[in-house]
Amino acid sequence: MSRSDPVPGAMAAPDGRPSTPSAPQARPPYAGLGARARRFLSVPGNGALIFGMVLLGLSSVFPIYFMAVNAFKTPEEWAASKLALPSALSLDPFATAWGATNNGGYVLNSLIVTTATIVLSVALAATAGYSFSKLRWRGSTPVFFFVLAWMAIPPLLLMVPIYVEMVDLHLINTYWSVVLLYSALNLPFNAYLMTAFFRAVPDELLEAARVDGASVHSIFIKIMAPLSIPAIVTIIIFNVLYVWNEFVFALLLLQPDRVKTLTPGLLQLQGRFFFNYPALVAGLLLASLPMVGVYLIFQRYLVRAIAAGALK
Amino acid sequence: MTRPSLSIARSSPRRAEAWWGPLYALPAVLTVVVFIGYPAVSIAYHAFTRWNGYSEPTWIGLTNFQYLLQDPQFFTALRNNFLFAVSVPIQLTVPLVLAFLINERIAGWRFYRWTYFIPAVYSTVVVGLLAKIILNVNGPLNEGLNSLGLQGFAQDWLLRPQTSIPAILLIVVWANFGYNVVMYLAGMSGIEPDLPDAAKIDGAGRWQVLRYVYVPGLRRVMEIVLITNTITAFAYMFTYIYTITNGGPGFDTYVTEFLIYNNAFTFQRMGYASAMGFGLTLIISGLGYFYIRALTGGKE
Repeated sequence: MSRSDPVPGAMAAPDGRPSTPSAPQARPPYAGLGARARRFLSVPGNGALIFGMVLLGLSSVFPIYFMAVNAFKTPEEWAASKLALPSALSLDPFATAWGATNNGGYVLNSLIVTTATIVLSVALAATAGYSFSKLRWRGSTPVFFFVLAWMAIPPLLLMVPIYVEMVDLHLINTYWSVVLLYSALNLPFNAYLMTAFFRAVPDELLEAARVDGASVHSIFIKIMAPLSIPAIVTIIIFNVLYVWNEFVFALLLLQPDRVKTLTPGLLQLQGRFFFNYPALVAGLLLASLPMVGVYLIFQRYLVRAIAAGALK
Repeated sequence: MTRPSLSIARSSPRRAEAWWGPLYALPAVLTVVVFIGYPAVSIAYHAFTRWNGYSEPTWIGLTNFQYLLQDPQFFTALRNNFLFAVSVPIQLTVPLVLAFLINERIAGWRFYRWTYFIPAVYSTVVVGLLAKIILNVNGPLNEGLNSLGLQGFAQDWLLRPQTSIPAILLIVVWANFGYNVVMYLAGMSGIEPDLPDAAKIDGAGRWQVLRYVYVPGLRRVMEIVLITNTITAFAYMFTYIYTITNGGPGFDTYVTEFLIYNNAFTFQRMGYASAMGFGLTLIISGLGYFYIRALTGGKE
């Protein structure tokens, strides 16, 4: 509804202020791209603007540079300079970091937890989304909002009762504790996304399938599931980033080495290698690269995914 | 089991849906009830008890809350949360301008769009530990300042809250701004390109287009950005504090979640920690309610 508001405002504002000293009318309308860029740079201050924006972009990739150059240094070389390229590629930091993360055990645990959470989250969101959007039953709307409402509670503030509950359910120090918890914490948003997506599927399609005798389940599996791939990809992107990077509940709920994931493992690395920064940095790089990879693969898709999902 | 249900589905799809509808929603409802609903109820009860997490809790009424109002650590922590909320107006405006310039295809826009989200991809632990390394007395920041001849500025950034809190604030803003840029870009992709084009033909300057075309069209996104970043300042600071300063020196850089964590898991004061968590949950979930309204577009 507010989408139509800008029209009158936009038109009226420049016209309604003839006294504006900057007189935007004096400037010629935007033409070709090259000319536009040239004109843009000729405006004082715009050069500084671009400089700032480039700097911000460089700061975003700086951690990758910082980790990459330092992860191959010897501690002596680190002490000499933190920003220069390494003189020789020492693989010792990686070997040390790998050993200190339980010979890759933490990486494996992170992979297991992430994969299991994604599978469970997608299944829960898809079934719930189907129910709320396409199945007609009494109470569907209130129950939808009941599920959505839990989005309002910041999970970290519930760390005490969640920890105690996991102890009581004997789920503490098992993968299930975080897999179930992460799935629950993201479920309101995931279910909302899926419901919004399924609502856009035309009812005629389902009606036709029903007339052909398709059951509730076969419509879900044969029609809705294949159509929902874009929504599922969106859920996977958001949830992979969240689960792989989550720290506090992993710290609380997965304490022994056999279940520990990478993020608390990194902190442990920091404690153990207080004077071996290259090994710590190698561990940080190891933890970051998979997610940077995920981002690079899905980067083109990201804005569209958020536009379609979060802002539907 | 499948045979009768299938025959119901064939004979009367409506009745099958009335039956299967709730069953399809059930796993999701159970999951949130067990893993969010139950802890929420549990914290509401334990907030009024003395409890060490092992023995039976003792009901003590409002004592925890009275104690809370006299706890200087609590007020230090809360004050710091408010200081971190300085990020909110920054996140509301700077990413908006950045997204607008990217959307306007400013020189180098592909590079900005590609890089700005990357900080949001790093784990908070990685960001925190890198920040700690970089801000260290012998770290690269001071090293860089020294090599530029700015020795006067080099200092132990994490030694005093006067420098550590602004530093952490800057790091949190940096870590999250790209997400907000992408939110704004997504919102801008929903605005008819005719509108800004028409405004430009009518002679509107760049900033007037932003002010009078985009800002009104992005109201919902701005609400979402406002609320999510406020919630971040009050309920997602834990990992930064834990990794960068560990609350120190003393209690100077504590935030409320950190105080909850320490009371619960270091001092075994589960009841008191619950009271703190419960009070904050009430306040934050009020904000969360507006978040859901903004997200669903105020329908229903």
